[in-house]
Amino acid sequence: MSVRILVAMSGGVDSSVAAALLRERGYDVVGVAMRLAPEAPGSIARRRATCCSHDDFEDARRVAERMNFPFYVVDLREDFAVRVIRNFVNEYLDGRTPNPCVMCNREIKFDRLWSRARALGADFVATGHYARIERGADGRYRLMRAADSTKDQSYFLFTLGQAELSRTLFPLGAMTKAEVRARARELGLANADKPESQEICFVADGDYARFVERAAARERIRPGRVVDPQGKVLAKHAGMHRFTIGQRRGLGIAAGEPLYVREIRPESGDVVVASREALRCAGLVANRVNLVDPELCRDGAVEVEAKIRYRHPALPAVLSMDGAERAELRFRSPAPAVTPGQACVFYRGDEVVGGGFIERAIEG
Amino acid sequence: MTIYLDHNAGAPVRPQVRAAIERFLDDEGGNPSSVHRAGQRARRALERARASVARLIRAEPRRIVFTSGGTESNNLAIFGAAKAHRARRRIVSSAIEHSSVLAPLSELESSGFEIVRVMPGRDGRIAPGRIVEAIDRNTALVTLAMANAEVGTLQELAPVGTAAREAGALFHVDAAQAAGRVRIAVDELGCDLMTLSGHKLGAPAGIGALYVREPARLAPLTVGGAQEGGLRAGTQNLLGAVAFGAAAETVEREFERETARLAALAERLLARLTDAIPGLRLNGPRAGRIANTLNLAFPGVLGESLLIALDLEGVQVSMGSACAAGAVEPSHVLLAMGLSAAEARSSLRLSLGWNTTDEDVERASEIIVRVWRRVAESEPAPRSEAAEAVR
Repeated sequence: MSVRILVAMSGGVDSSVAAALLRERGYDVVGVAMRLAPEAPGSIARRRATCCSHDDFEDARRVAERMNFPFYVVDLREDFAVRVIRNFVNEYLDGRTPNPCVMCNREIKFDRLWSRARALGADFVATGHYARIERGADGRYRLMRAADSTKDQSYFLFTLGQAELSRTLFPLGAMTKAEVRARARELGLANADKPESQEICFVADGDYARFVERAAARERIRPGRVVDPQGKVLAKHAGMHRFTIGQRRGLGIAAGEPLYVREIRPESGDVVVASREALRCAGLVANRVNLVDPELCRDGAVEVEAKIRYRHPALPAVLSMDGAERAELRFRSPAPAVTPGQACVFYRGDEVVGGGFIERAIEG
Repeated sequence: MTIYLDHNAGAPVRPQVRAAIERFLDDEGGNPSSVHRAGQRARRALERARASVARLIRAEPRRIVFTSGGTESNNLAIFGAAKAHRARRRIVSSAIEHSSVLAPLSELESSGFEIVRVMPGRDGRIAPGRIVEAIDRNTALVTLAMANAEVGTLQELAPVGTAAREAGALFHVDAAQAAGRVRIAVDELGCDLMTLSGHKLGAPAGIGALYVREPARLAPLTVGGAQEGGLRAGTQNLLGAVAFGAAAETVEREFERETARLAALAERLLARLTDAIPGLRLNGPRAGRIANTLNLAFPGVLGESLLIALDLEGVQVSMGSACAAGAVEPSHVLLAMGLSAAEARSSLRLSLGWNTTDEDVERASEIIVRVWRRVAESEPAPRSEAAEAVR
């Protein structure tokens, strides 16, 4: 019996090639597509009174047929609703800006799906993420940036611990996107040139505010005031969930200089706006911290490079732990737009050494 | 080596059917409507098949209309009856019918028909009195399955037939699952229409039949040809009909021995599983069902997970019905019977048939027990649901 690997397939080219490569290497590949998002009201699926007819699942199924491995669609909508969507809505309502992809990896792909993998007798879970896992001479697993720096997705994976890394495979980690597409064409996969998905999968139209308003009880929507740093009221707003740190548009004010959201105060509902310069922060406090390298802070504070949003460059900073799951991070030079709710991921060179969720900015 | 325990979804082609198909292909083809001798040979083959299918339900051969399968037969029966009886606006049925019955009923409902869907009891039985009560002078059609596809419950239909006749309503029986598994005589049931499916009996998919007692009381859905007494225009699927005929002959010939054999095998499988899996429950009645069908609630697991795990170990079973995307949905039948969503989600259907052997049952029970343990340990069903599932 060869090693059985459960491959999470979305129907996109990345996870398709990941599955195909493993199959080519002779593994016992089991393809799985997850039903996660609830059906949008009024969608074609709903009108026809059938559950779903996602083209993406069909794309994944065609890859499985072509590469000759079994493929199943599994229904994880309930887990996704409870563990990802509810968290997404609550974070916005509490004045934070969530990152549901990080949450989905942590709660669904590398937790819920792993228990399914064990149930199916699989030894590993593989995905199409662009990231690498290396095992050092000391036996410790290291999570590394992808070879293709423009596609690197290691930021979304910082919640993985040693146990998860030991049974996870990222077959695309050493490839560029162009190589992946070329491989897909060589293998004759029909989705070789399929465009990338950009939006959050369960907010099809990209309108997060409206999604939150539909999902939340009316009394949880928190209207309030838009104020300047001195407390002067500039406008009223219809809900904190409509704002994120660094936001410039939709503030409902016409000022001489451009103003940006600097802070959201959940206690009062106030949204504080300020000039661009005033957005800079000295550091941040992160909670639910995972150190991929458990030994990282054994001897106190360490130098890291920190990414506070997916598309931001990593900034030099000093990391110190406060207990097992909280960390304080001090930037070498002040950083803009520290956003509570977003992931802050710690790198040392190409290695992801840990990360956490931003609780608050440290002023100064 | 796989073990196929999904005969209610469709049986593998029987060797006798394969042989009949080969014999037929060796002869020249032809169109049964043609005047020339090739046409005459084709017509003879078609009529022989019709007689074999009719024999299975003790019907007159000329009352058998070949269709593309059970779904088409159900559609023809329901839409055809509604079309032919425009003055009557009520249809009586149940909540546990096959989707090829439920969907036509919903469509008629949206065009103004009143649809009565009688709920079953916890064992899947529909009280005949509840059906009889619902039949009135405005009723165009009563449509019920003889044996439920998912739990196997056999319905008591004779009183329904009598009541339907008295009210002047047509009585349609979906016998796709019952045919070949229990003795059927259309006159004893008093039914006017009966659905049969070829691939449930070991013919290939793509062929079925509708028994029509009085053709004048049914309107066709396809027109443009005089085939099948004008009720189903279009050149017949002759190869399919020949295969269906061969399957029906085989079933008829082996009926007593085969039904006894399958009942014993299913009992043994149930006993093995019950012994090894604490809390396992049979959905549906203990007696009064087609014996090949075991619908089982497996404690502490998601049926979806168990189904996939079993498939990877070579045991093929099913759960409810697959959605358009290929995911499994909890069975509407189990939900209508009063099972909770969690119980329905923990349930799988095992259905035996002509190619199920003693050895299959021994191996399948060993594999199912082993895989159930692994799934229950690795991926326990959510706690509250698990508690509910073993209740």
